[in-house]
Amino acid sequence: MKTNVVSLFKTNGVGFCKSLVKHLIALFALVAALNAFAAADLEVNTPGVQAVKARMQARHAQLLPYYVSGAVGLNLDGTIVLRDIASVPLAARQGLNMLVDAENQDRDALYAEIANANGHPEWQTEIRSTFAQRWIQHAHGGWWVMSGSGWVQK
Amino acid sequence: MLNFMRSLIRFRNQLYLLAMLLSTAASASEIALNIADIVSPAFSAHGIVLNLPANGSADLHLLQLKVGSREFRNVRLHCGEFTLSSAQLACRKGSLDALPGMSLAFTYDFSAHRVLLSLAAGGGESWRVTGRMGERAWQVFLRMRNAQAGRLSPLLTAELPLPKQGTLNGALRISGNASGAETVNLDMQIMDAGFSDAAGLHAAEKLRGDIKFSARRSGAVWNWQGNVAWQTGELFWQPLYLKGGLTLNASGSFDGKLLDIEQAVADLPEAGRVQLSASWDVKQNALQDGRLRGENLNLASLFETYAKPFFNKGILAESALYGHADVDVRYRNGTLQSLQLGLHDAGIADAAQRFALRGVNSEIDWQADAPGAATIAFAGGQLLGVPIGAAQWRVNMDGLNFDVPLASLPVLDGKLELRNFYMHRAENQTGKPTWYWQFEGGLAPVSMEKLSRAAGWPVMLGKLAGRIPSVSYDGNEINVDGALLFDVFDGTVVATRMKIKDAFGLAPVLSGNLTMRNLDLDLLTRTFSFGNMQGRLDVDVNNLQLQNWQPVRFDARLYSSAGRYPKKISQKAVQNISSLGGAGAAAAIERSYLGFFKNFGYDRIGWSCILRNGVCEMGGIEQNNHGMYAIIEGGGIPAISVMGYNRAVSWSELITRLKRVTQSNVKPVVK
Repeated sequence: MKTNVVSLFKTNGVGFCKSLVKHLIALFALVAALNAFAAADLEVNTPGVQAVKARMQARHAQLLPYYVSGAVGLNLDGTIVLRDIASVPLAARQGLNMLVDAENQDRDALYAEIANANGHPEWQTEIRSTFAQRWIQHAHGGWWVMSGSGWVQK
Repeated sequence: MLNFMRSLIRFRNQLYLLAMLLSTAASASEIALNIADIVSPAFSAHGIVLNLPANGSADLHLLQLKVGSREFRNVRLHCGEFTLSSAQLACRKGSLDALPGMSLAFTYDFSAHRVLLSLAAGGGESWRVTGRMGERAWQVFLRMRNAQAGRLSPLLTAELPLPKQGTLNGALRISGNASGAETVNLDMQIMDAGFSDAAGLHAAEKLRGDIKFSARRSGAVWNWQGNVAWQTGELFWQPLYLKGGLTLNASGSFDGKLLDIEQAVADLPEAGRVQLSASWDVKQNALQDGRLRGENLNLASLFETYAKPFFNKGILAESALYGHADVDVRYRNGTLQSLQLGLHDAGIADAAQRFALRGVNSEIDWQADAPGAATIAFAGGQLLGVPIGAAQWRVNMDGLNFDVPLASLPVLDGKLELRNFYMHRAENQTGKPTWYWQFEGGLAPVSMEKLSRAAGWPVMLGKLAGRIPSVSYDGNEINVDGALLFDVFDGTVVATRMKIKDAFGLAPVLSGNLTMRNLDLDLLTRTFSFGNMQGRLDVDVNNLQLQNWQPVRFDARLYSSAGRYPKKISQKAVQNISSLGGAGAAAAIERSYLGFFKNFGYDRIGWSCILRNGVCEMGGIEQNNHGMYAIIEGGGIPAISVMGYNRAVSWSELITRLKRVTQSNVKPVVK
């Protein structure tokens, strides 16, 4: 692609080059304006983010069997949902309730923290939806994820 | 019930008349009757069709049947043998579409007003209802033998937990007169029963137990008593999870509006015996009045089973209690009226081992509208690994105002003293009820060596003592009003503008300024195995912000204190300072000197770090020069200067290097 541009510059002279650069700049500005959020650093690493991620990692091993069994599914809004608690033994139900609550609190905290660390607290909604897509993409086969038409098994 | 009987008689009359009329006209052929509706307050049936084939059988089809609030559609009853005479209506060898596999028999005796309904299935299952419908008095008797509890599901509304498995044995007897039911008696054994609501939040499995209940009405008031002996099985009633072994005896009254539990005694497995009385407003769905008492209750089981599930987060959700307690709680009109709590050899321990208290003995006599006092004594405990000694505190209480004039907490060889602790509950700016507290205090000298060992920190020398100015909490923020003063490393540390936002939340943020003066470099470097340095150091840390106890922002500067004192730096310390600069940032050290001398003289030390976004912008003794900067300026003989080249370093990288330096130095190097 780059070589093509260079050859265009050579063959069409300076006038074309200027107009192309103008167009490119205009296009870039437009894309940048539309995707201001795209500049968000989702991997930003603050102590707040670290603390939330550490808690979520510690909790993941406890949640894993419930993702596999389908008791817990991934929602479109970046949270997790108790979708089939009836499949969980009675003795484990309240523990799972608490796990899901704690996980969702941490997920909310994570989105807010990343938005704050980027200096744009108002990006929280976009960051949440980007993460929601990521969680669903990274879900293992057999896990339940929410789609536009309801729960589906990956 | 009486209405039901009247409807039945009216139905009989219509049916009988029609049958008489038609039987002559169409003998030996099938008769079909259409009856529009039967309506009574208790039940109604619409679209009734009765087919009477010539073989003596009958088929009844109801388009819609309502019993109470439940509605059934397309109810089909087949009677293998159907007889109707002036004396009796009888259906034998019957079956209902809704109850496949069950045989049904029904007779109604017109003159004696007796009804008999019997349902039976394999496994000895039988439901037998007998009723006598007198003009003045009536009674219904239901006997269950190996009755499948799941058959009751269609009779219950879908919002309720529906029985799924289990068998019932026992009897229910209801009697009454024209004004309604008068007595109810239930005696039932439940075996391996299970139920669940649609969401699975109220469910039980393998329940086994006995239920006895009786009630008698006089006028508008029912007097009742009940007894539940729950032997085995498990129950989840969000958020509680209970196992069998529980018995409950209760008695009271009900006037249609207020359910009075005059006396209830529950024997809770492991926890002990609890007595309860209460008035429940059924219409408002609210507790009007209640009292709960228990003596010598087992705190461990009581807390774990009945209290902890309600704490979703916070310190209590991660704690275990033990010991015994006497409790007497009274509640009236939406608020707690009084609480008497006696704790005997009790204790609390946090699962993360952040704190523990043991040997707690206390007598608390609290009343909502009168002043009182409590004594809290404990034998010891720990806070963040640091042992706490025995203490006894007196708490003055007046409603939701609590004050402790003086509380002393032994910490190792010193003590923490809290003065004028005051806690109260009030509405915050947004109108939300919030706990506020404040105190001041001081720390009598504690050996730093003992403290650091106990807390698992590098062993520090010297004493820690301090003055704590007014500290307050407003439901979100802890504020320190004034200067927090500590003596450490033979110098002073003054903390000002200290503030912790979201103090007990998920993301606490601490901010403030630290001013340290005359720290003894010898004590400091020995503590952190850095290589010996001698001298005095001042440190200023301004605009400090910690998130989750990690620094995210500060303007720090350290420099030699003013005054005259010996200034020496060891070869090892020089090497360590140099290596902090990393591989690419070698300090300008005249290596030829280094080999010959163990210690060097210096004139000034200076280093600064402005931390922003994880990057530390560094500088040396002089703040303004660019490029190279001096961290140590030589002086005396032999003198050494250390220069820095890099201006920016990642904070986490710097910490990693510092850890590497201090840890690798812990092990002695034998040459």
